[in-house]
Amino acid sequence: MGLPREFHEQCRRSLELDYLKVFYCWARGAALSVTSKILDSDLAAPEVKVCTAAMRLMLQILTWEFQYNRKGTKSINHFSAGVRHDNALTNRTDCILVQPGLAWHDVLISSGDTVWLSNLYAALRQKFSPQSSWIDSPIAVSARKLLVQFCSVTGTIFPSDSGQSQEQYLVRLLSGIILWVEPSDAISKEIESGKSGSEMLDGCRALLAMATVTTPAAFDRLLKSIRPYGTLTLLSTLMGEVIKVLISQNSEEETWSWEARDILLDTWTALLMHSLQPLHITGGGISLPPEGAVAAANLFALIVDSELKAASASAYNDDSDSDYIHASISAMDERLSSYALIARAAIDVTVPLLTRLFTERVSRLHQGRGIVDPTETLEELYSLLLITGHVLADEGEGETPLVPDAIQRNFGDFLEADKHPVVLLSGSIIKFAEHSLDPDLRASFFSPRLMEAVIWFLSRWSPTYLMSLEETHDRNDDSLLSRGHQLPQNSRKTVANYFSEYSYGKFVLGTIVRVSIITFTSYPGENYLQGMTCYQLLHALVRQKNICVHLVALESWRELANAFAHEKMLFMLNASHQRSLAQTLVLSASGLGNSEAANQYVKDLMGHMTKYLVELSSRNDIRSISQQPDIILSITCSLERLRGAARASEPRMQKSIYEMGLSVLNAILVLLEVYKHESSVVYVLLKFVVAWVDAQITYLEAKETAAVVDFCMRLLQLYSSHNIGKISLSLSNSLLSDAKTEKYKDLRALLQLLSALCLKDLVDLSSDPVESEGTNISQVVFFGLHIVTPLISLELLKYPKLCHDYFSLLSHMLEVYPEMVGQLNNDAFSHVVETLSFGLHHQDSEVVNMCLKALRALASYHCKETAAGKVGLGSRASDPRNPSGGTENRIFSRFLQSLLQLLLFGDYSPDLVGAAADALFPMILCEQSLYQKLGNELIERQANPEFRLRLTNAFQALTSLNQLTCTLDRMNYQRFRKNLSNFLIEVRGFLRTK
Amino acid sequence: MSDEENHFESKGDAGASKTYPQQAGTVRKNGYIVIKNRPCKVVEVSTSKTGKHGHAKCHFVGIDIFNGKKLEDIVPSSHNCDIPHVNRTDYQLIDISEDGFVSLLTENGNTKDDLRLPTDDNLLSQIKDGFAEGKDLVVSVMSAMGEEQICAVKDIGPKN
Repeated sequence: MGLPREFHEQCRRSLELDYLKVFYCWARGAALSVTSKILDSDLAAPEVKVCTAAMRLMLQILTWEFQYNRKGTKSINHFSAGVRHDNALTNRTDCILVQPGLAWHDVLISSGDTVWLSNLYAALRQKFSPQSSWIDSPIAVSARKLLVQFCSVTGTIFPSDSGQSQEQYLVRLLSGIILWVEPSDAISKEIESGKSGSEMLDGCRALLAMATVTTPAAFDRLLKSIRPYGTLTLLSTLMGEVIKVLISQNSEEETWSWEARDILLDTWTALLMHSLQPLHITGGGISLPPEGAVAAANLFALIVDSELKAASASAYNDDSDSDYIHASISAMDERLSSYALIARAAIDVTVPLLTRLFTERVSRLHQGRGIVDPTETLEELYSLLLITGHVLADEGEGETPLVPDAIQRNFGDFLEADKHPVVLLSGSIIKFAEHSLDPDLRASFFSPRLMEAVIWFLSRWSPTYLMSLEETHDRNDDSLLSRGHQLPQNSRKTVANYFSEYSYGKFVLGTIVRVSIITFTSYPGENYLQGMTCYQLLHALVRQKNICVHLVALESWRELANAFAHEKMLFMLNASHQRSLAQTLVLSASGLGNSEAANQYVKDLMGHMTKYLVELSSRNDIRSISQQPDIILSITCSLERLRGAARASEPRMQKSIYEMGLSVLNAILVLLEVYKHESSVVYVLLKFVVAWVDAQITYLEAKETAAVVDFCMRLLQLYSSHNIGKISLSLSNSLLSDAKTEKYKDLRALLQLLSALCLKDLVDLSSDPVESEGTNISQVVFFGLHIVTPLISLELLKYPKLCHDYFSLLSHMLEVYPEMVGQLNNDAFSHVVETLSFGLHHQDSEVVNMCLKALRALASYHCKETAAGKVGLGSRASDPRNPSGGTENRIFSRFLQSLLQLLLFGDYSPDLVGAAADALFPMILCEQSLYQKLGNELIERQANPEFRLRLTNAFQALTSLNQLTCTLDRMNYQRFRKNLSNFLIEVRGFLRTK
Repeated sequence: MSDEENHFESKGDAGASKTYPQQAGTVRKNGYIVIKNRPCKVVEVSTSKTGKHGHAKCHFVGIDIFNGKKLEDIVPSSHNCDIPHVNRTDYQLIDISEDGFVSLLTENGNTKDDLRLPTDDNLLSQIKDGFAEGKDLVVSVMSAMGEEQICAVKDIGPKN
């Protein structure tokens, strides 16, 4: 509209504070005035339309994003034109909270609107219920939506009386809404026989809204004042009914019961998450009331039953709909987490139930062996394993997960380990997994899919239970006990002890390793299964050092290492899995007693691979044999293994990994030459070097560093000589874009290599400084950048990761070694300038941030140097021969202009203001006269005298407020940051228009 | 493994050792594969199962490295598929004849005169223009399964 942004914000504010409520009251008045007429007429009457429209307006008003209700107004967001994406209403399970603040209390709460609307709806319902179309008529829909919206009212609108008035308010609403969902069996029958399900779904939504704004106990109490049972029981019965319908339908398309199940599951999640959260505050955790626990137990039984039925029914579905399944995997995971929450609410019942179901299925397998087709049972076991995994253990997400609270708290009575329900359940699954070691049983039962579930379960279960560290548990006990909550610590210890290193743990670990080997050797080509074993199961094991100690002592682990080093068999694995396996095996060496043994272990493991590469690269006929697919395959695999080993570098094995890399350096250069056209091999070569240099560089002595740096430069030059000026055939678009992607990946690897070299200047663990061998890391890296930069085109910078890496390396270099910029030649310099200017206008705020940092470093370096009477960046910053001449050639004048332009008129994240201030300040100091000129131009352009005055004052304040002085020290930077932020808040409101 | 014994088995008319068997599960994107007797570059690999509890199978999408046509194949992932032996050799360009053939200098000093200019416009103009300007050009020739084609050109500096 061409008006300043300030104006829009003021409009918004005044609408919210002054008018919204008035509008609401008008709408309500309109609706109330026609109520009696509606009750006397039929659905076609014009009054019905009025009422519907009024209710729609009320609903719209209540979905307004209230901002000014709290004390202290929220400041305007000056920096980006944010648009609120209000699709919350279309998302069926989302529930928006309505928090209008105390000012609305009289209108919403004490006015009795809710009662009026409930009564209106009830009366209409009574009157029109014979007409089945009534439920979906506009007036019914908007009335229900408004009622649901009423349920989500919360926040400061209620007086602070520990939720009592809110509870009463909700009870009033619930007494009307309950008719929509109860009796649930009758309603579901009606819906199945053709009635619309929308009323019932809205009822579920109302329950979800209530669950979101209350605690479980309060939620349960709501219904008790009108019914003999609590809301939780209602919820459980309702969901049970929905699930029954789901089972009986068993169709793939989404029906009302799907939707109802999702909403109700969200309701449970909202409730149970509530009950989890206070645990950290109060220490005890509010569990569900006993009635609720029973409800949860019943519900869980029903859920498992339905999942099993669904599983066996879908067992023969062919994978024609595999796309659909992939899309729903994350949705399934979410569902399983909700199930797990429900199960944990009644853990003492659900764990034995799962044990029973699991053993039943297993014995059914054995009985029917060779007689009955086991597929259905396999599918049931598959889903039982998934459910059990979610119930018993949390996902660690990189950390070691603790035994879930519910399990810790609820099994106080079981002191005998072998009768502990969790031990029984885990034990039966592990025993089942062990069956896969028997070739006959494996052939008859363990399909790849079932095996995936077994491996998944083991990798989920073992970080929590297997050899978990006693110490951490003890510490945890103390902290909880000190808060005055006596936890039955014996119970938790019972499970932990049972699977500890002193007891059954070693045996289980051995089983897990043997099962893993089986997935490698007996399931050829099952990439997904093998990947899971490599990345999830084995990785999780070696992450814990105490487990490594036992792993390296295990016969089966030695078998695996031996097979890896010497047998052809494991070369059949996918190459990236081999990399991961190498990493895992090398990491396990940290469990060996001393560094000598660990180094020897790595040598034995990898020696075969390095020897192969060295021998191959020194063959005379390498050129002719190198293109054979089998040679390419084995070279790729060997390199991937080396890369995996390099990634596992730890101080203890560092020496052997260094030697491993050193021995193949020449081979790598030879192979890079030989395979210059074979991009996939080139990439693996580069990636190995990156991983190895990255892991090793900080440990290396000066002499070793010099050798490595020298090697890296040769590598860069060789790569560049192969690729610069090369034009490849582009017969097909997809091949062309593939070739681009390959190039991008190569370049990214090279940048990573340079970054890794930079590391040496930051962290150096060697005994003598690098310079003692005449290596200057900054020179080397600039030289490297000089080689790599010509290969990077603007086209390639469109790859976000490459862009990110490139800018972080560049800004790091400019920040740490600004003096190098003065020594760059013209081409290289203008390339740096162009790149920074490109980056400054990049969409990614991280990239902009890095450019700003680089600019700050350059400008402050120049400022300080010139102040000290030196040249600084010399002719780069100002052209002495032609001081008034084109600003284009002077780096800071150019960036001063574009940065001011960006700050005043562009869209950017507010987080950038600090960094921008840091860059702007030294630049203003470098180019004071230009800054004055730009400021004056801007002021003169302002037509409105009031704005012109404000702008003048703001510019004045920017450079004078807070005792800002002309020296570049921390204090001044801070002051200027503050000034700039105030400046922008003051002027952007009217400079930017929309 | 028993698979290895088949190494030198010839496949169709491609001739001995033009292709090698390799387990389908180990073929990666960006690798090569033979589909319908054509050498292809793999641009997409996806796996699925034969029935829920069956074995994995790989679905390959490949681009014919000579004519750019898209081909697809499905192979059980534990089975072998054929991998073409793709060779690339650099030659210096000596001459371009009027009928569209090039004359290339081989490593042992002979000439190779049986290759046509590429059909790709960009590459073609690079070769023709560069040659006309007197640049020293090196062309890469890709060969697989008895077929050959110029696939890249590189300027190694002006002729002196």
